[in-house]
Amino acid sequence: MTATAAAPTATTPRRLFNVHEYHQMAEAGILDEDERIELIEGEIVEMSPVGGPHIKRINDVTKLLNRSLDDRAEVSPQNPVRLNDRSEPMPDIAVLRYRGDDEDVPVVGDVLVLIEISVSSLRRDLGWKLALYARAGIPEVWVFDVNGQRLLRHAEPSDGQYRRVDELRPGDRISVPTIPDLVFAVMDMLGHRQRS
Amino acid sequence: MTATASPPTATTPRRLFTVHEFHKMAKAGILGEKERVELIEGEIIQMSPIGGPHVLGIARLNMLLVPLIGDDGLISPQGSLRISDRTELVPDFVVLRNKRYDGVPVAADALLVIEVSDSSLSRDLSSKVAVYAAAGVQEYWVWDVKRHVVHQFTDPSEGQYQQRREVKLGETITSVALPAISFKVVDISR
Repeated sequence: MTATAAAPTATTPRRLFNVHEYHQMAEAGILDEDERIELIEGEIVEMSPVGGPHIKRINDVTKLLNRSLDDRAEVSPQNPVRLNDRSEPMPDIAVLRYRGDDEDVPVVGDVLVLIEISVSSLRRDLGWKLALYARAGIPEVWVFDVNGQRLLRHAEPSDGQYRRVDELRPGDRISVPTIPDLVFAVMDMLGHRQRS
Repeated sequence: MTATASPPTATTPRRLFTVHEFHKMAKAGILGEKERVELIEGEIIQMSPIGGPHVLGIARLNMLLVPLIGDDGLISPQGSLRISDRTELVPDFVVLRNKRYDGVPVAADALLVIEVSDSSLSRDLSSKVAVYAAAGVQEYWVWDVKRHVVHQFTDPSEGQYQQRREVKLGETITSVALPAISFKVVDISR
């Protein structure tokens, strides 16, 4: 079988899709609602499976945020955020401004902070994802390095990158932008590192 | 952590599609009927725009082929050919078995596939050869409209064409699958 020889290469021009066509595919039953996929710069890509510790962290942080934020923000775990006409990724958690009865797919203007969790090693896909978020103007991205017990807060997006990166440790505190009076302990966010 | 802007697809696999899903996209109006796209190993690939020599090449080759084939085959210019569940190509010419069809013709229906090559020569001579050979397409020609050379591939077995011949300007090319197709290689690019 010569499938590899025949497969398109990195430079083969793909037919790219916009968010409208992407959602049309779901409506037409081509893409399943439960598929773990994202639209990234016109390409539909598969997300890597999420392991148990990753799920646990997403759920714990979602609970923690929901409990304190209540109606002041909307916590959206593992749901899409529309960045532009060509990108609709699915961050681990999106903290959105409170949107009331708004049922549209959240857009950049709705996002207060995006959270990406990395349990074992810093995920390889975070590099391009951060660049994507910065280009779209997502104001803040928190990257949880659970094993390294640190939280990397990326802020001040400009020219496709975050100009400011703060490394926070378990003893530090952090707040969601625009809600500074609510303070979270980084230790609670990261959880306790599991040792075997 | 540095924000490298390397393409996501270097580390992330694309969602691949089947020919069934590919056609659903057309039905749903996501892919336009006139769009020049092919499905290759599950990926929807944009075909390159057809340049002048390519356009003329198709037209002139059509003129050469039609009277020679008669009822022996069905010429499908720029029609789809289903190669597998994940691949559906649009070759410049497919000479099909002359029978009734209920859907998109499959590789086994093709007696001869011809690609007229201008800028796509390297792709037509590498990855496409592999695709057609693996699918068991009887005979494959790549007509290089710049050098006026026809690369003739025949005898597919074990995923490869066992015979490859180059027929130059002024020499006679004869199809192995359809011997009625026999003519001198001329400049078809103008």
